[in-house]
Amino acid sequence: MNGGEVTLGRTARLYIGAAVLRLALFTIFPGLPDLLTGRVEVSTPVTSFKRLQEGLFLYNHNVSPYDGGVYHQAPLFLPLFSLLPSSATFPIFTYLLYVAVDLLSADALLKIADSGEAVSSRLFTSPRREKRWSGFVIAAVYLFNPFTIATCLGRSTSVFTTCAILHAISKAIAGAPISAMIALSFASYLSMYPLLLLPPLLLLGYDRRPAADRTSPIAFTSKHVLVVAGIHSALFGMSYLITGSWEFLRSTYGVQLTLSDLTPNVGLWWYFFIEMFDSFRSFFLAVFWLHLSSYVGGLCVRIRTQPLVVLTLLLGIFAIFKPYPSIADVSLFLAMMPLYRHVFPLMRYTFVVAAVVMYATFLGPAFYHLWIYAGSGNANFFYAITLVWGLGLSLMVCDLTFAILRDEWEVERPEMVGKEIRQI
Amino acid sequence: MRRFLSFFLLSFLSFCVAASDYHEQLVLRPLPLSALLASFNFRSNTSLSAFEAHNYRFFPRSLGQILQHAGTRELHLRFSLGRWDAESWGARPWDGAKEGGTGVELWAWLEAASEDEADHKWLTLTNALSGLFCASLNFIDGTRTTRPVMSFRPEGNHPSSNSTNMRLFYGVLPREVVCTENLTPFLKLLPCKGKAGIATLLDGHKLFDASWQSMAIDVRPVCLPGEECILEIEQTIDMVLDIDRSTRPRDNPIPRPPPGHELKCDTSKPYHSDDTCYPAEYGANQQWSLAQIFGRPMKGTCPLSDPKIPPVCLHVPDSRGVYTSGGVETITSKDGLSRCFKVQPEAEFDLVLSHVETEGVAPPALAGSIIKPETPSLYAERSFTGYGQERGGVQTILRNPSPDKEVEFVYMESLPWFMRIYLHTLKARLDGSLTEQTSLIDEVYYRPALDRARGTQLEIRMRVPPSSTVFLTYDFEKSILRYTEYPPDANRGFDVAAAVITILDDDDDAKSTPGGSASVSSSNLRTTTLLLSLPTPDFSMPYNVIIFTSTAIALAFGGMFNILVRRFVAADEGPEVSLKRLKTRLQTKLGGLFKKLGKAELKNE
Repeated sequence: MNGGEVTLGRTARLYIGAAVLRLALFTIFPGLPDLLTGRVEVSTPVTSFKRLQEGLFLYNHNVSPYDGGVYHQAPLFLPLFSLLPSSATFPIFTYLLYVAVDLLSADALLKIADSGEAVSSRLFTSPRREKRWSGFVIAAVYLFNPFTIATCLGRSTSVFTTCAILHAISKAIAGAPISAMIALSFASYLSMYPLLLLPPLLLLGYDRRPAADRTSPIAFTSKHVLVVAGIHSALFGMSYLITGSWEFLRSTYGVQLTLSDLTPNVGLWWYFFIEMFDSFRSFFLAVFWLHLSSYVGGLCVRIRTQPLVVLTLLLGIFAIFKPYPSIADVSLFLAMMPLYRHVFPLMRYTFVVAAVVMYATFLGPAFYHLWIYAGSGNANFFYAITLVWGLGLSLMVCDLTFAILRDEWEVERPEMVGKEIRQI
Repeated sequence: MRRFLSFFLLSFLSFCVAASDYHEQLVLRPLPLSALLASFNFRSNTSLSAFEAHNYRFFPRSLGQILQHAGTRELHLRFSLGRWDAESWGARPWDGAKEGGTGVELWAWLEAASEDEADHKWLTLTNALSGLFCASLNFIDGTRTTRPVMSFRPEGNHPSSNSTNMRLFYGVLPREVVCTENLTPFLKLLPCKGKAGIATLLDGHKLFDASWQSMAIDVRPVCLPGEECILEIEQTIDMVLDIDRSTRPRDNPIPRPPPGHELKCDTSKPYHSDDTCYPAEYGANQQWSLAQIFGRPMKGTCPLSDPKIPPVCLHVPDSRGVYTSGGVETITSKDGLSRCFKVQPEAEFDLVLSHVETEGVAPPALAGSIIKPETPSLYAERSFTGYGQERGGVQTILRNPSPDKEVEFVYMESLPWFMRIYLHTLKARLDGSLTEQTSLIDEVYYRPALDRARGTQLEIRMRVPPSSTVFLTYDFEKSILRYTEYPPDANRGFDVAAAVITILDDDDDAKSTPGGSASVSSSNLRTTTLLLSLPTPDFSMPYNVIIFTSTAIALAFGGMFNILVRRFVAADEGPEVSLKRLKTRLQTKLGGLFKKLGKAELKNE
C-alpha cells in the first residue's frame, strides 16, 4: 500500500465494507429482499418496490400506471428502472443501484459532518465543539444502521429521496446553493414533503456563502426560489412527456395529500383516517398537513443561528408526522443525529427514548403479525405500537431541541454549565 | 346435450318465421348422483315496428318501456345460485350461454351518441330494472361496471344501428342473494303469468332449494334475411334438483339413514359382506314423478303458446319406462334418447319415471338408466392462495379434457377495487412444469382499478393444449378500507364475482356474419365466486382513535412549542415554581383573613 492510498483508505474501506455487507445479505438470503419489501414498516404505498415493479410493467406494456390505484411514485422512476435489466431476472443490477445510492448518501453525510457546520455555523459556535465525531464515524453509523440496511434491502424508493436531501444539504454547506436547490427539487419531486425543507435550506445556503457574495437576503431567496420552481417545472414537463398526461400529479401527490390509500404504516395518519367520520375527513386532512408544515416557520425563527439543526429537527418531525412514513425516514433522521454528538450530554431522556424505540421496533412486527396473520389481536394492537413509536420519536426530537437550545443558552451563561435549569 | 339443444333451437327458429310468437318448453334430464336438470324455456317475439309503436302483445310492457327509455338494444340478465358440478354433471345446459355467476349479472348493449349519455342510460337501466326485479341492481355503480372488450358479443342482429354507437356495459353483484322475490316478477313477465303451462311447476320453495339454479332473461333483435326484424325475449330457468331431497316427504323432512336391510350395496366390492356395505350408485335410477319433484303437477298448457311445440320433453334412454296421465301424446325421437309429451290444454299433467329393473343388486353402470352427460370442453376452478389478511393470490386451474383439440378462450375477471392485483405477477404454467409459459397467453386486456372509482377489469385470451392443465396465477394485495365502507358483517368477507370464460369456437367468425344464423352460439362457463376477507379496523372505537392520535400529536406539538418559546433560567432564579408560590400566597391571604377575623371578634367582645 503506498502513501497516496492510505489517506483515502479508511473511508474507502468503510464503503467497501458496507457494500459487501449489503450484497452479502442480498445473496446469502435471497428471500430477504422480497420479505422486507412486503413489510409495512419498510414499504409504504408511495415507496414500495413491488408497486414500482407493477408500475414499470404497466409502463412497459403501454398502460398508464397512473390510471390505476397501485402506482403512486414519481414518473421519472419508470424510464430509470426500464433502463436496468428486469429485477426478476437480473436482480444484481437493482441491488447494485441501491447500494450505490446508499453509498452516495453516506458520502454526502460524510461531507456534511466534516464541514463542522453542526458545531460551528456562521452565527453560532458551540462551546462544546471539540467533542464531535468525525465524518467517518457518522457515515459508519449511517451505513451500519439496521434501519438503513433494511430500507436498502427492501429496495424502498425513499432511498432516492434520502440521497437527494443529503446532497442538497451537503451542497448548501459546500457553498453551492444552486446545486443544493437542484437536489432539493429532485427530492421534493420524488416525495413532495422535502419542499418544506426549502426555508431552512435557503438559510443554510445563505449562511455558507462567502461573505463577499452575501448580497441582500431577498435577492438570494427570490433567485433560489425561482431556481426551485424552474427545476420543478422542468421535471414535471419531463414527466408529462414520459406519461403523456397530467394524471400523475393526482396519483402521486394527490394520494399523499388526500391519503386515499389507507395501507397501514408506522405513522399516525392511516388509522386515524380509517376511523374518521366522512364529514370531517377533509377538515382533519387540512389540520394534519397544517400541523406538519407549522414547524417550519417556528424552528427557522427560533434557531435561526443553526439552520442545519432546523433541517435535522424537521427531518425528525417528518419521520413521525408525514402521511406515509417508514423506517427510511427514521434512518435519515438517525443519520443526522450523530452530528450533534457534542450536545448528547445535555439530553435528558436518552435512555427512555432508546428503550421506547427499541420496544416499538421489536413489538411492532409482532403486533402486526397478531393482527394480520394470527388473528388473535385486532388493529388496535398495531395502532398502539405506532402511537408508542411516534411518541418515542417525538420525545427524541424534543429532547434534541432542548439540548441544542441549552447549548446555545450556555454561551450567554457559561457559569450554568452542568447546573440544574428550568424554563419559564 | 348440445346437439339436442341446438336441435330445439333450430326448431324454434324455424317457427319464428311464422309470426305466432310464444313458445314454452320444459326439458327434463336426469344427471348422475340423483340429480335432475330441469330447463324451462319461454320465448316470445314481437316485431320491431310493433315494439317501437308501443304495441305489446307477448312482449312484457313493463320491461319493454324500460328498454325503450334506456335505449337498450340487447339485454342479458342473470340471477344465479349454487355451483354447477361439471365433474359429475358434465357440460352445462345451453353451453353455459344462459347462466350467470352466483348473484346477479347484467350486461347490455346501449345505443348512445356519447360516453356521458351511455353512462346516464346505464344508470337509468340499472335503477329501473332494480325496481322491476326487486334486486339491488341499483348498486351496480362505477366500481362494479366494466366494459368488456373481448368476452361478450351481441347475440342478436343489429343491422340498423351504427355499431360505434352500441356500447356494452357489464355489471355484477356477487353478493346478491337470489330469492323468491326475484322469481315473482320473473313469472309476471310471462304471457300466462305462471297460472298455466309449465310455469305452474315453478315454486320458490323448490327452485331456491336446488343445488344449482340460474334464471336468465335475454332480449335481442333477430333479423332473418327477407323478413321484418323481430325483438325476441327469452326467459330461461335452469335448475339442478337433488331427487332425494325433493322427494322427501313434507311432513317428515329430516333425512335419516335408512335401516340396514334397505341399504343398496355395491356387491362387486371384495369386502362386501353382511355387515359391510359400499353404497351403490343408484341415485340416477330412482323412480320419481313430476308432482313429487316440483311439489305439484303441471296445470294444463298455456293457451297462448304454440300448440305445435310439445311443452315437456324428457331425456332418458328408451329402456326406462315412463307413465303419464291420460290424454297425453308421446313423441319419441328417432335416436331413442328423448321423448316429448303433448299435453291436454285443460288437464293436469303428471309424469312418472320408473326405475330400471336390474337383475341382481349391483347395476353395473348408469348406461341403462340415464344418458351419459357430455364432457365439457373445459373445466375451470378458481381459488385463493396464501394466508393472512395482507396479501394473497388467485389460482385458476383450467383443464382441457379433449385428447386432440386445443381450447381457445377469453378469461375475464372483474374484481373489486380493494383487491389490488399485481399484473406483473400474472403467470400461466402447464401442470408438471415449474416454469412460466408465456406462449399460452395470446392477449391481455387490463384496466387497473382506481380507488373508490372503478374495479379491475382483466381479460386474457389464452389457450390450453389438448389433455393438459394450465395454472393461471396472480398476486394481489388486500387494502384496508375506511370503516364506513365495510358492510355490517365485515368479518364475513367480500364476494368476488365469478370469472367468465368465453370459449372461442374455430368457426366463430362464420357464425357471427350478419344475416347468417340469428343467434350467435357462444359457449361460456363461470367459476364460482370467491370470498375475500380483508383486514378490519376496530369498529367500536372511532372516538378513541381520534382522541389518542390527537393526544399524541398534541404532546409532540406541545412539547416542541414549550421548548421553543420559553426562556431558560437557573433552577433557583426567576419566579418561584408555581405550586410553592401558590402556597405562600394562600398562606399570606389566609393569615390576613384570620387576623381580620380575630380583630373583629375582639371588637365584638
